Amino acid sequence: METDGNVPHVQAKFFTKQKGISVPDSPFSIPYNVGVIELSSLINSLLSQDEAESRGLVNFDFLVDGEFLREPLNQFLQRKEASTESVIDIEYLERQPAPEPEDALVHDDWVAALAASQDYILTGCYDNVVRVWNTEGDLLMTIPGHSGPVKCLAWLHNEDGVAQKTFVTGSHDETLLVWRWNQQTNSLDCVHSCRGHAGSVDTVTVSPNGQRFCTGSWDKLLKIWSASLDHSADADDDEAPQKKKKKTDGQKLPSRVPLLTLSGHSEGVSSALWVNEDVVATASWDHTIRLWDLHHGIQKSAITGAKVFLDLSICPETQLMLAASADRHVRLYDHRITDGASVKSTFTSHTAWVSSVSWSPCHPNQFISGSYDAILKLWDTRSPKAPLYDMTGHEDKILAVDWSMPQYMLSGGADNHLKIFSYQAREAQIPS
Amino acid sequence: EATLDSNEEDDNSDSEESQYSGLSEDESSGEDDSEDEILEWESDDDEEEEEEEEEEDGVMQDIEVNGLESKSNEIDSSDEEDIRNTIGNVPLEWYKEFDHIGYDLMGKKIGKPAKSDELDKFLDRMDNPDYWRTVEDRKTGQKVVLSDKDAEAIKRFRNGQYTDPSYDPYAPWVEFFTNEVMEHPVKATPPHKRSFIPSLTEKKKVSQYVHAMKMGWMKPMKPLPSEEEEQDPRPSYYQLWTSDSDFTRRFKHHIPAPKLKLPGHAESYNPPAEYLLTEEEELAWKDQEPEDRRRNFIPQKFSSLRLVPAFKRFVNERFERCLDLYLCPRQRKMRMNVNPEDLIPKLPKPRELQPFPTVQSLVYRGHSAVVRCLTASLDGQWMASGSDDGTVKVWEVSTARCMKTFTLGHAVKRIAWNPNSSVCLLAVAVEKQVLLLNPGLGDRLIISHTDSLLQSALNSRQDPDESETGKKIPADWHECSAEEKANGLRIKISHAKNVTHVSWHSKGDYFVSLMPEGQSQSVFIHQLSRIRSQIPFSKSKGLVQSVLFHPTRPFLFVATQRYIRVYNLLKQELSKKLTSSCKWISSMAIHPGGDNLIIGSYDCRLSWFDLDLSTKPYQTLRHQKKAIRNVCFHRSYPLFASCSDDASVVVCHGRVYNDLLQNPLIVPVKVLRGHEETKGQLGVTDCHFHPTQPWIFSAGADHTVRLFT
Repeated sequence: METDGNVPHVQAKFFTKQKGISVPDSPFSIPYNVGVIELSSLINSLLSQDEAESRGLVNFDFLVDGEFLREPLNQFLQRKEASTESVIDIEYLERQPAPEPEDALVHDDWVAALAASQDYILTGCYDNVVRVWNTEGDLLMTIPGHSGPVKCLAWLHNEDGVAQKTFVTGSHDETLLVWRWNQQTNSLDCVHSCRGHAGSVDTVTVSPNGQRFCTGSWDKLLKIWSASLDHSADADDDEAPQKKKKKTDGQKLPSRVPLLTLSGHSEGVSSALWVNEDVVATASWDHTIRLWDLHHGIQKSAITGAKVFLDLSICPETQLMLAASADRHVRLYDHRITDGASVKSTFTSHTAWVSSVSWSPCHPNQFISGSYDAILKLWDTRSPKAPLYDMTGHEDKILAVDWSMPQYMLSGGADNHLKIFSYQAREAQIPS
Repeated sequence: EATLDSNEEDDNSDSEESQYSGLSEDESSGEDDSEDEILEWESDDDEEEEEEEEEEDGVMQDIEVNGLESKSNEIDSSDEEDIRNTIGNVPLEWYKEFDHIGYDLMGKKIGKPAKSDELDKFLDRMDNPDYWRTVEDRKTGQKVVLSDKDAEAIKRFRNGQYTDPSYDPYAPWVEFFTNEVMEHPVKATPPHKRSFIPSLTEKKKVSQYVHAMKMGWMKPMKPLPSEEEEQDPRPSYYQLWTSDSDFTRRFKHHIPAPKLKLPGHAESYNPPAEYLLTEEEELAWKDQEPEDRRRNFIPQKFSSLRLVPAFKRFVNERFERCLDLYLCPRQRKMRMNVNPEDLIPKLPKPRELQPFPTVQSLVYRGHSAVVRCLTASLDGQWMASGSDDGTVKVWEVSTARCMKTFTLGHAVKRIAWNPNSSVCLLAVAVEKQVLLLNPGLGDRLIISHTDSLLQSALNSRQDPDESETGKKIPADWHECSAEEKANGLRIKISHAKNVTHVSWHSKGDYFVSLMPEGQSQSVFIHQLSRIRSQIPFSKSKGLVQSVLFHPTRPFLFVATQRYIRVYNLLKQELSKKLTSSCKWISSMAIHPGGDNLIIGSYDCRLSWFDLDLSTKPYQTLRHQKKAIRNVCFHRSYPLFASCSDDASVVVCHGRVYNDLLQNPLIVPVKVLRGHEETKGQLGVTDCHFHPTQPWIFSAGADHTVRLFT
């Protein structure tokens, strides 16, 4: 690295948590206004001195103070008001490879809901149809059953070896349908319907142990349902509604009533999430995120925001919540902080409403967000100013995103497409 | 005293002194120095050495100064002896009769200098440029020429200044010790332990005093000032404004007399011809009363100024002028100095009034013609819009998805969602009909409930209505055919003329429709539960523009082109008539509290009426450049908006206070632009707030509906 005569220098020490690319632990004097590219080439030259030449040139990213370096170092330090006299510790790691557009699945109508698991993708559309796809892009099944647009769906049981899989779908027609799908015979039957909501069912979430699921609706209510397929267990509960149903519909579809109904929101519930086995978090149009204690059936706490919340996602490891709201920002909340500002950071890069967010299943720092500006963005929480990657391709609003499968990021939108982006997470970054 | 050249060569003391006096800064130090030197000289016997020293010193620069110095010495100290004249301190008059004036050190006589007579003095004065500074030494009789420095010193001394010009008495004082605590003190010794301990001697002294007071040995001092008061019996107050009489006040508030008019061309001795009166004019002037005359003289022309006679009326005119000044009261005009900025009311900044819509968030595309009207459902999940393409579209608010499209065939003029939450019904004004439309969205129970409600109302109506058909009502209720029912239509109400407006009562049972061309039968009130219509007015009051129900009380607002009439429906009387300042009212909206009303007009004005305050507008806003098409209030936030043909929506903060004494606060907060300006006349045709969020929908001539959040 050449030294310019006029530019002041700072002392920096490089370290990494990744194996096999470590450089000497001695401080280097680097120009004050160095950028990421120069730093990356510095690390590369250091590595080529130390290690085998076989390793090609690798792009690195640099973390200073737990935040990604995205601008020249001097600007970064000025913004952080950090001292330039002490030795700066810079962590470096191999840059994430860009996500590759893998496939685009064409639907007949807007894709409003997505759920992926174990190589199968469920999509719910505005044409009232649920579709089952595999990751190769083959349409396995088209399921008409709802009489309104399908707004939410979730896998109930989807074990790896078991051929029989179940999922639940919720719709504008105020019902939820529980489906049993045999993967090998590709046969499907509707187990039962869940009735009780008096508004469109906008969100469904399955408890960690798969025994229950929770739905939120425009009728401001939150309902907990049993996920068991065994009807003998709750035959008593079912009896009355079943009789009524027979009279009206004449259809032999057993229906269920909720185990628990929780009210408290003053507007429609837009998103619900299980925090743990006894706690559900909901986001609503009334500008609040609420936590519900299911064991006692009461509201535990509430976080008040300034805008309508559209989606919620919770990191399984750090328990931090991401909320997408009816503005351009994605906000990171810590629901364990009960007083004061619970917004930990704000991610701003979208130009329209952010409709959906999803944490990475394997990386505690990464998440994706889909917005009405038709761009899917991959973020790292350590880089709040700019996303890691922008994924374009959609031609209209993105309505749903999913990142349940570590290698695939999914987004569905108002252009009738489901886009699949493949992504190789760095092995070394996956915490053990 | 003696200059060097005039003195003897061996006069050493003089040279010695001269060396020091040059260095001396002020007189006292000079004196000391010279004294020392004299002592030195007296102890010194060897004259030759002194001579040598003098020669070594070379040029004596300050010799004249020395002369002055020594002279001052003589004055200052009487002990001082003049060493060149040894007669001592005796008056010189004693030597008047001798030829000498004393003896020098060697005992020789010092001769009297030749006395110059007056002529010599005069010549000297003329010839000698230094005459003015030549003084005579009385002791030796020698003439001494003062140097420039001496002259300057004398001058300064006379003026009361320091004689040395280089001395600055006001030089900045350099403090040797400062009172500030210094970081590095001059003396770093810590304070002694003693300084922290109360003094023992003081304690002893105090205890002595205390003891003395207890024993009565010591008495406190008597207060002194009482004696002074006794001494001065005069009161210590006096009248401050004794001189403040009417006379002085007149001078203080002096009003200058008005100035006399300057003479013009007519007064000239040689006026231009047009100022001269013709004979008829002269006759007319003479006929007039002296008070009526425009001029009190006749302009006259003279060939030269010399021929101008004396002005006969001079004294009269002076007298009249004096009368004027004396009799005419003059008044000082009070001029108010008001800062124009103080007149602007203090309004809060828009940022403090958030939330209000600021950015365009969603665009609802799908219509193929101008979107005329829109309305939002009560819970804010749906929004319906009607367009010139003959369709009503119902949209999902959050995603801008068109959920349903109802084709009605004709341009939709007005659409209104039923404000009753248990009914799902849209009233649509299309051509000559008002259609009741069930969009079939939302809760299925409510949808079916709506249908059954309408059906039961229709069924119960049949009998009474047919019996009393004698009274002709030009609004017919029809049940829709099965085909139309599949399209969502439920009931048609046919009118005689085109219907332009429809709006619901807040309970959702009554609604009012407007037929501007219907003359006296322009306003209809329809009741949904009893399937009937009535005409509230028998006479036409003008072209009705808009009608509205009061949200809580049985009032109906009817806006004609310039007036808004408020009718009490129970008493069936006109309760108020509001006068708008605008020319043609286009639309009207009422605050959910019911005490405030806004109207929009085609002449770009938006007027706010406080119904309790006045029948005139409380405030009129002109923020839009083209005709205002529609105005609306937010249901829960203190917001109102107007949309206009310049493709903008202006959102204002309008807070109404419960305190009746406090006027509403109206602050324009945001101009929302998003709709494209079309070539036609129309811009934004309708705007409507979201029922629960601080969002606003706007319907534009660019075939779109937009949501601003």
